[in-house]
Amino acid sequence: MSDNNNKKIIETEVPMGMVHSAAIEPYRVRLFVEDEIVRDAEITVGINHRGIERIMEGLPVEKANSLTEKICGICSNSHIWNSVLVAEKALGIEIPERASYIRIVVEELERLHSHLLYLAHGSEVLGHETFAMRLFYIRETVMELLGMIGGNRVQYGAPIIGGIRPRCDLNEMRIKKIKEGMDFLEEKVAAFADRFTSDPMIMARITGVAVLSKKDAIRLATSGPTLRATGVDIDLRRDMESYDPFEFDIITQKDGDVKSNLLVRVFEIFESIKIIRQAIGNLPPGKITNRSWGMQDTPIVKSYIEVPRGKLYHSYKLEEGRTRNVIVRTPSITNIGAMEHACIGAHITDAQLAIVQCDPCFTCTDRAIKIIRL
Amino acid sequence: MTILNSLIAVFGTLILAFLVSIWLPGIERKFIHARIQQRVGPPISSLGIMAPIKFFFKKTIIPNSPMPNLYNVLPVISLLSCVFIFLFIMPQMYYLGALASIIAIVGLLKIEEVIYMFMGSLSKSILSVNMPFPDLAKGGKHRKATRSFLEELSSLRAFRLIAFGSFPIYIAFFVPVAIAKSIYIGDIVLYQQINGPILFTVAGAIGALVYFIGYMILLNEYPFVILKTKADVIEGPLLEYAAKYRAYVYLTRGFLMFVLASLFATLFLGIPPNIFDWKVLINIGVAILFPIAMALLSAFSPIFTFRQFYPVVAGVSILGILAIIAAFI
Repeated sequence: MSDNNNKKIIETEVPMGMVHSAAIEPYRVRLFVEDEIVRDAEITVGINHRGIERIMEGLPVEKANSLTEKICGICSNSHIWNSVLVAEKALGIEIPERASYIRIVVEELERLHSHLLYLAHGSEVLGHETFAMRLFYIRETVMELLGMIGGNRVQYGAPIIGGIRPRCDLNEMRIKKIKEGMDFLEEKVAAFADRFTSDPMIMARITGVAVLSKKDAIRLATSGPTLRATGVDIDLRRDMESYDPFEFDIITQKDGDVKSNLLVRVFEIFESIKIIRQAIGNLPPGKITNRSWGMQDTPIVKSYIEVPRGKLYHSYKLEEGRTRNVIVRTPSITNIGAMEHACIGAHITDAQLAIVQCDPCFTCTDRAIKIIRL
Repeated sequence: MTILNSLIAVFGTLILAFLVSIWLPGIERKFIHARIQQRVGPPISSLGIMAPIKFFFKKTIIPNSPMPNLYNVLPVISLLSCVFIFLFIMPQMYYLGALASIIAIVGLLKIEEVIYMFMGSLSKSILSVNMPFPDLAKGGKHRKATRSFLEELSSLRAFRLIAFGSFPIYIAFFVPVAIAKSIYIGDIVLYQQINGPILFTVAGAIGALVYFIGYMILLNEYPFVILKTKADVIEGPLLEYAAKYRAYVYLTRGFLMFVLASLFATLFLGIPPNIFDWKVLINIGVAILFPIAMALLSAFSPIFTFRQFYPVVAGVSILGILAIIAAFI
């Protein structure tokens, strides 16, 4: 909706950021308003570009894979897993079933902590600090489980080419702790969901606010739970081989507003708990790493996986065991259009909520910059 | 001797009020909110004045304002208007006539509100327009739009709140006026000494409820915190205040909490603050009870945008008008 194709004259602009106390990440949002109602919005990212793809260029593939984990502090496992998948696909490596199950456990735990972080941050933007604090308290259980498996709370480094790191294998004690953690989470998240949806003040703030229609969501190439909140039944996990052994439902809502977005994530938490229980309940015995593979040059190979925020893309080619032409595309880059669109018609205070409802991760989105010469 | 006694009473009560008021933000935010939010907070004995003390020892930063001196003096004016409100509800001041009346108190509270608007319009923080970011570059949307500072937004909201947000508390003021049939604080207190507290009448009870909602709106507490909502304008003009000026802002808020509670005790219980009367303990009790009730309500509330704010204010104001009608009946 630029000046050229939009006849409407916007008189007032309220810019916020790049640095702003309400934003947990650096981004610039320009809200074009009429009496505090947003008529158009523009979101810009780009000051947190770290050039990880450039650093990965020419690195040995194992090192390059572990570097991808540094892209995001919330979905670190998703990045390393997808990067490892590219190498495995390129080199035709079969991974042991036990390793595949453990990868799923770690990924779903990551989804749990990401969704809980989303709900906590959403509550904070709503102004409900009590819910935010309590959700962080619930999330702490997941962080401890991830720390137990990988040795770190944020970057656990579970997947390696051919399987998982020996440190991340699950023994009886760990399985017991994960089971207890899932019971605790299920009880607490159910109580939270019940309390949240029965609060008339919260419902008044989130129902019918920042609506993204199904048509617009598809047009703007939205992905992940934000897309599913508009009623589109797409989840890449259904097509991923690793998820074949597990029974789970694809959660959708139909309204595309803040409430639908929150509910999709809440119900996905229960689905993730279901998947984790299946994985640890049926964990196959055996090896966790396949070391019988050799390096060779490959063409560019692509891999898409479903991560907590949507569709994650990684691709590179291998030359003498080193990565070349690395491209990473995070889900938030495609969701930025949805965020801008969801702001339109909202009150300024709700605009921040409209952005947060799409679960942005702008720091990971700063993948590449385009220099515009004036 | 009478003048000396009066002076001791006035200054003694003022000092007592100040000492109690420095506890109140701590009770509200650091004790009750912390416990409800399941985080480790300080003990109840922890003073709310710790933050102002810290700010008094920090380096003052010159704000980015077109009139920095005026901008810096605004919190002090705000504090003084609160002090004057407190002075005019003391029994020793009732001889001042019109100054010790509901009209004067309404006027002084308006000063406190208007100052917030000035704070917004005089502040130009770096978080928005001043941020050195080239977003008017080629490809940028609506490049000819007028750029507004976040604090101007806060100022605009303060203006709206002056226009309608403070209706409930002002309507509640007039419930005792309607019952006692006088705008003078002295007459309202005297009426209650003869006929018992207004709070225990139907009109008084409804008025008290309306007063409490108005108290929360005036203190910009959740859910009525749109003036400084975290999601956009943050603390509004407060963002730019540093060091001792920020300390004055905090002190004003704590003192205003006490003043409004004392005003409630005076108007609805007939107990004006007086250090020489044991009933001053009731004043202190109300001053502590109000932040506790406010903390309990605010801990479980999201921020209201104007979409929710308008109906709530309208509903509460109608309730207040009904209380006034009931008072006349």
